[in-house]
Amino acid sequence: MKLSRINQLHFRFILLALLNVVLLTSGFQNLYSQNTKKNRVRIKTNYVKIMDGESYFDIRATSKVEKENVDVSHVDILVYNEIEDEKIKLGTITTDVKGQSRYTLKSINDIKPDSTNTYNLLFSFKGNDQFKKASKSFSFKDVDIVDAKVITIHGINYITATLSDPNTKNPIADESLGVLVQRLFKSLRIGEEFNNTDENGTIVVPFEEELPGVDGNLTFEIVLNDHDDYGTVKALINAPLGIPVVHESTFDDRTLWSPRNKTPLFILVFANLLILGIWIPVIYLITNLFKINNAKT
Amino acid sequence: MENHKTLIYDLAPRKFGKRGVIWTLFLVVIIIAGIVAYIDQLIKGQEVTNMRDYALWGIYISNFVFFVATSFVGTVTVAILRLTNNSWRTPLVRIAEIISVAAIIMAGITIMIDMARPDRLLNLFIHARLQSPITWDVVIIPTYIVISLLLLYFPLLPDFAILKKHFKKTKPKLSKWYGKLSLNWKGSVAQKTIQTKSIKIIAIMIIPVGILLQTIDAWLFSTTYRTGWDSTNFAPYFISGAFVAGIGALVTVIYVVRRVKKLEHYITDYHFDKLGKLLVLALLLYFYFNINEYLIPSFTAKKDESVHLNTLFTGSYATLFWFVTIVGLIIPIIVLLFKKGRKPYPMFFIGLIVVIGSWWKRFVIVTPTLLHPFLPIQGVPESWRHYFPSLHEWLITIATLAMALLIITILVRYLPVIPIQRTYEEQELLKTDKTIET
Amino acid sequence: MEDKNKSSRRKFLDKGLKLGIVSAIGGLGLSKITSKLNATNDDSSGEKMELMTTDGTLIQVDSSEVLEIEHPADNDKKYNVREGMPNRKFVMVVDLARCKNALKCQSACNKHHYITGDNAWIKIYKMQESKDTAPYFMPTTCQHCDHPPCVTVCPVDATFKRRDGLVLIDNERCIGCRFCMAACPYSTRVFNWSEPDQGEITLNMDMYQHEYLSPEYAGMPSLKGTVDKCDFCPHFVKNNELPKCVEVCPNNVFYFGDKYEDTVSNSDEIVRLSELLEERAGYRLMEGLGTEPSVYYLPPKDRWVDFEEALKNYKEFESVEKPE
Repeated sequence: MKLSRINQLHFRFILLALLNVVLLTSGFQNLYSQNTKKNRVRIKTNYVKIMDGESYFDIRATSKVEKENVDVSHVDILVYNEIEDEKIKLGTITTDVKGQSRYTLKSINDIKPDSTNTYNLLFSFKGNDQFKKASKSFSFKDVDIVDAKVITIHGINYITATLSDPNTKNPIADESLGVLVQRLFKSLRIGEEFNNTDENGTIVVPFEEELPGVDGNLTFEIVLNDHDDYGTVKALINAPLGIPVVHESTFDDRTLWSPRNKTPLFILVFANLLILGIWIPVIYLITNLFKINNAKT
Repeated sequence: MENHKTLIYDLAPRKFGKRGVIWTLFLVVIIIAGIVAYIDQLIKGQEVTNMRDYALWGIYISNFVFFVATSFVGTVTVAILRLTNNSWRTPLVRIAEIISVAAIIMAGITIMIDMARPDRLLNLFIHARLQSPITWDVVIIPTYIVISLLLLYFPLLPDFAILKKHFKKTKPKLSKWYGKLSLNWKGSVAQKTIQTKSIKIIAIMIIPVGILLQTIDAWLFSTTYRTGWDSTNFAPYFISGAFVAGIGALVTVIYVVRRVKKLEHYITDYHFDKLGKLLVLALLLYFYFNINEYLIPSFTAKKDESVHLNTLFTGSYATLFWFVTIVGLIIPIIVLLFKKGRKPYPMFFIGLIVVIGSWWKRFVIVTPTLLHPFLPIQGVPESWRHYFPSLHEWLITIATLAMALLIITILVRYLPVIPIQRTYEEQELLKTDKTIET
Repeated sequence: MEDKNKSSRRKFLDKGLKLGIVSAIGGLGLSKITSKLNATNDDSSGEKMELMTTDGTLIQVDSSEVLEIEHPADNDKKYNVREGMPNRKFVMVVDLARCKNALKCQSACNKHHYITGDNAWIKIYKMQESKDTAPYFMPTTCQHCDHPPCVTVCPVDATFKRRDGLVLIDNERCIGCRFCMAACPYSTRVFNWSEPDQGEITLNMDMYQHEYLSPEYAGMPSLKGTVDKCDFCPHFVKNNELPKCVEVCPNNVFYFGDKYEDTVSNSDEIVRLSELLEERAGYRLMEGLGTEPSVYYLPPKDRWVDFEEALKNYKEFESVEKPE
């Protein structure tokens, strides 16, 4: 008898729970049916790792509103690390006025990989009045560019670096690296577009160009660009392989177009001599007026 | 003493008759209209003018150049004629100095009207850059104002003393003012020495300063790349133009003052004849510079120069150009070459058209150049390709001219227009030494 | 007795827990539904902000109308604004062979600098040297000359030449004499003859005043009675972004960069400046005047588009689009 009573209670409970679930889902369905004017959001992710530096994910949220692409600005994106079935929240970033945002990872050890050594991240947007919720998964494997340096053989400078697995330290062969010199907005490529790593995971690229650099210094980038598995990885080298820049500015000189504290000496001297040469007699003349006034008869 | 008394009676300032009062009121009304227009310009900005990004300088600047040029008359009559021992200048010098002072003060005021941010006037002094020709202008104009005032004032001292005595009974308050301004002038040896020395210094100094003033005014234009302005000829061209404008103004004002104050005795046909010869000399010199400026570039006919010259000879500014050249330059030369043309009455008209021609000539110098820059005028409204001053600009400009005339009027009203003491001394000298030529 | 108590307690707990879960889920569902039913669809959040306009009046503005403008990444200046970015010499290259007179550069510049007058800061001239030589379109900005005639003649140091090559205007100092405009042979300067009617930008200005009213933010705002011109967008360049005209040109007509690095780039390309000038016979405008401009032109050889095609977009009397 007790059993049947418990069963009855259980039945009632299950009924009530089911009812509520129906209510909930219908409620959500109402949400969707009411707001068909919410726009879909696309989240683009780019992963960049700088050797001996930070790694970061550049997020861009865009949406097609009335057939035009607009930036989804000032929205929160939650960043999760997906391990097996768990989602660990890493942080929240907010898109700027251009719909862009950057999530910086101080160290790769801040996130955990899965069993295949792949890091899985999820960027999620909860949605708001205007936009539907959206999310983007991003997976990548960690790789290192090591031993990036300049070597000189027979008087010719070469840029060399090795692509290796960070865990096993094994070299990774037959991947294409690029070598560039950092410039103001973009970087200038030197050598071939594709430099494949050999069986030791190494590339050796000659640098024979004459490029100017401040004080003769150039910053080289060895880049594994937008790889399907690894994202973008960069190693930076500073080397005095450039031609020192000769500054051309006349800012420090006395010129006709300088500010007043750098007036050409000729003008300074000549003009002031003229002014004094005229005004000293003028002042003398004015004093003469006083003299006349005070003259004794 | 009889002579002296007559002199004083003839030359002492008199109260304005009806004509004088009407004239003054007329000027005041024009000035008020100009001030109202200027306040409107301050509030709305210079969009009330017809200047735009291409015709960026208009009649405010050409009017300014005109005033600067006219102020040269002080240098010419007082200093240059003095250095060349032309004693006939005596009855004319006071009026010349008065015109000089009025013109250069108005030049200073007119240039401030062209500044779009007069609230930042002090920047011209606090942040002045010596490399800029405008800074040179900012230095030279106050300098010339001071020197012109000194040139006017020093010779006035004995006359003020005379007038103080003259008005003591009839107008005691006025007499007191004359007394203050005469700086206790007693005619003592000490005072006379100081005065003579001072006048000598001023007369010498004003020549380089006056020439410098005209030169810097020309350099405002010839330190740019613009065709029509970038000319090595510009400074002497402006100096000779100032000669013309100044003497033309002198002739006109002298005639009017002489008529109104009945000074035919003192300013005779002889004086007009001499002035006429001086004016024709100036006009011939100016004509020479005009040939260099406008005829010679058509010899090589560089494209930019040709465009500029065609605008003036046959294009949109042709009427004005030929008006100022023929009416303002050629006709006066022809008329003044004849003795009959140098009689007072014709001289008055010649003086008038020389002044009017001088004013419009500067308009022809300033704006046409701006309307054909190196790169074509595109991407702006069609009206920006032309320039004719707006009502605001006319009201303000005419008001500045009225203000100059008002200053002259007031000074003529209260100052003896012919130096009394000096005339007396010269006449005394003549009596004792008949060998001195008049 | 104890057994009964235990079982009743258990029952109570059991029931209570179930009731709690059920009501929680139900309540959640209900609240979601009701909030969605109450939500309105219009943009106004209903909140008002109080702002002050440039002439000192207080106005109430709906806070959703107030747009945020990007702040520069570094608020504290790492260099003197009159001296400029260290170790840089900015140059621009204009490829006349590619210009189709699309006018995108002009509208982007006008929009970004809030130009409201009738004269744009970048003008695309229809040029033809003589009647037998071929016509072409030539985009012209301020040339940021190394021997700038405009800077030479400024009486109050309102326009100045920086170490990094830029010629900028301090519109707080300018007295409006327009001598610089008379001196410039490239006719590149414009004047604010009246109060520039920049509208909503003025509202934003008042919020960010300490960051604007700087020569590096030309036109933001413009002041009545002062001069304006192209500034090579230093507010972008210092954040490693290209000037507006360079960025938006659909035909990659412009290149921009640092002469000291001998490299110029646009949105798509990066090239060595010296190589570009040598291969394509680069030159400068009015070289004979001695102004030493910072803008190089590549002659219109092997054009990408017919001149007649480009001519269709030509507006002889307009360079700034006016709102209706």
